Amino acid sequence: MLEILNLNVIIQLLINGILFGTMYGIAAIGLSLIFGTMRIIFLAQGSMIILFAYVCYWLFELLGLDPYISLILIVLISLWLGAGIYRALFKGAVAQEDKNISLLIAIGLMFLLENLMTVFWTANPRSISTSYTSYVFRPMGIGIPFNRLMGFIMAVLSTTGVVLFLKKTFIGIAVRAAAEDMEAATLLGINPHRVNGTAFAIGTGLAGIAGVELATIYPFDPFFGFIFVLKAMIALAIGGIGSVFGALLGGIILGLLESLASFFIGGGWSDAVSYAVFLLILMLRPEGLLVRSVKKA
Amino acid sequence: MLEIQGLDVFYDDVQAVWDVSLHVDEGSIVALVGANGAGKSTLLKTISGITPAERGAILFSGKSLTNLPPQDIVDMGISHVPEGRRLFSNLTVLENLKLGSYTPRARRTIEQSLGRAYDLFPVLRNRRNQKAGSLSGGEQQMLAIARAMMSRPRILMLDEPSLGLSPILVRTMFELIMNLNSQNVTILLVEQNIHQALKIADRAYVLKNGKITMTGGGEELLSDPEVQKAYIGARWSRQ
Repeated sequence: MLEILNLNVIIQLLINGILFGTMYGIAAIGLSLIFGTMRIIFLAQGSMIILFAYVCYWLFELLGLDPYISLILIVLISLWLGAGIYRALFKGAVAQEDKNISLLIAIGLMFLLENLMTVFWTANPRSISTSYTSYVFRPMGIGIPFNRLMGFIMAVLSTTGVVLFLKKTFIGIAVRAAAEDMEAATLLGINPHRVNGTAFAIGTGLAGIAGVELATIYPFDPFFGFIFVLKAMIALAIGGIGSVFGALLGGIILGLLESLASFFIGGGWSDAVSYAVFLLILMLRPEGLLVRSVKKA
Repeated sequence: MLEIQGLDVFYDDVQAVWDVSLHVDEGSIVALVGANGAGKSTLLKTISGITPAERGAILFSGKSLTNLPPQDIVDMGISHVPEGRRLFSNLTVLENLKLGSYTPRARRTIEQSLGRAYDLFPVLRNRRNQKAGSLSGGEQQMLAIARAMMSRPRILMLDEPSLGLSPILVRTMFELIMNLNSQNVTILLVEQNIHQALKIADRAYVLKNGKITMTGGGEELLSDPEVQKAYIGARWSRQ
C-alpha cells in the first residue's frame, strides 16, 4: 500500500473530497436556514434533494434537457415549491406553537416523498450520463472530473448568493433577525410566516441545486435522501449552525473525511467514520467544531 | 388615543390580566406600575398582538385592534420596546435600526427616520457598523428605543427601560422619555422603578395580580400613603 501513497494520490483524494463535500455543504445551509427561523430540523431536506435529482433525470431522459440548463428551471421550481410546502404543510402547525408537530410533518413528508419516488421511478439507482460526464481535466497530472468541478462552482456561487441575500435585502436581514429572536422580530412588524416561508424557499432552492449536482455525479435511489440529511446534519455539527459559510466548510470537511476514510480504512468505513465524528463533536463541542466558543451571557 | 375595555388575558391557562380597563390620552405619559408578575408585560404584549386577548376590546384612535396580527398593529403606529431590549445582537446597529422601519408605511421614510435616530443618539451613528451585541448596556437601551422609533410610532410602549442601568443612566433614560414625549410621542411606560415613573407620568395605574387597584395622577399616587408603603418604602419617599 505504501508505494501508492504518493503526493498525487493524496491530492486526488483531497480534491474528490472537497468537490463532493460541497453537496453536503449546500444541503446543510438549507437545513441551517430552516432551523434558524423555525427551530426544527427539516428531515425531508434529503428527500427533496433526491426528488430534484429525479426531476433533473426526467428532464434529461424525456426531453433531452442538459442538466446544467434544467438547473435554472429546477431552481425556480424548487424556490416556488418550498414556499408552497411551507404554506400548505407548516403554516398551521407553526401557529400552534408546538415544534413537535412541525417536526412530525417533516418526517411524514420524508416518508411520503420516498414512497412516491419509489412508485414513479422504482428503487433502482439512476444516474445521468451525458457526453461530457466522464470528462476529466488533467492539470499537472491531477484528475478533476468536469461534473464535480461544476458542482463545486454551483455550490460556491449559490452560497455566495445566499450570503448576499441575507446581508443585502430587507427580507434577508429579517430572516437573520428572526433566527435570533422571533418574538422581537414580530414586534417590529415582521410577519413570522413571511420569514419562515422565505427560509423554506431558499432551503428548498438549495436542495434543487444539490439535486442537480447529485444527479450529475452519483447514482441515487429514493432512499438515499435520509442518509443525505444525516450527512448534512454532520456538516452542520462541524460548521456550526447559523453560519452560511461555516455550513459549506463543514460539508467540505465531511467530504474530505469520507474520501480519506474510504481510501485509508476501506470503502465501507466512510459512513461509519462520519457518524463517529458526528457523535464525537456533539459530545465534545456541541456548539459546532468551527464556531468560536459561545459567549457566556 | 388608546383605550382598553374589560380586558381578560390568559397566559398558558392561567389568567394574567383580569377585567382591565384603561385609557391613554394623546400626548401624555401614562405609567403602569406594580410588582413583578402583576401582569404589566402581558398587558403590553396583548396590545402588540403577541398574546391573544380572551375578552374585551382594545381601541386605537377609535379603531379596534383586538387580536389583529402584530404587523398590522405596528403599522397603525404602536411601537413596543420589550423588556430586556431584545436587540438582534449578531446584526449591526444599522441593521437593527433598518428593521425598525420594516412595515410598509415606515419603509417609505426610512432615510429620514435614520437621520432622526442618529440626531437623537449620535453614538449610534459612530457605531452603525458594529454588532449590536458589542454595545454597552446604556447604548443598547438607546438602540432599542431608536429601533422602536424607526416605525414612526404615535404611541411608544416601554417595558422596564431602566432595568439593569446604572443610576446615572436611569436618570438619562427618564429625561429621554420626557424628551420624546415633548416631540409629540405618547408614552405608555411599564416600570418597577416606581418612584421615577410616577414623577414623570401624567397619569398612572397600579396593577396587582392582574387587576387595576388604583389610578390617578402621577404625583398624586406618589404621595399616596398606601402606594408609598406597598411599593416605594421609606427609603425612597425621602427623596
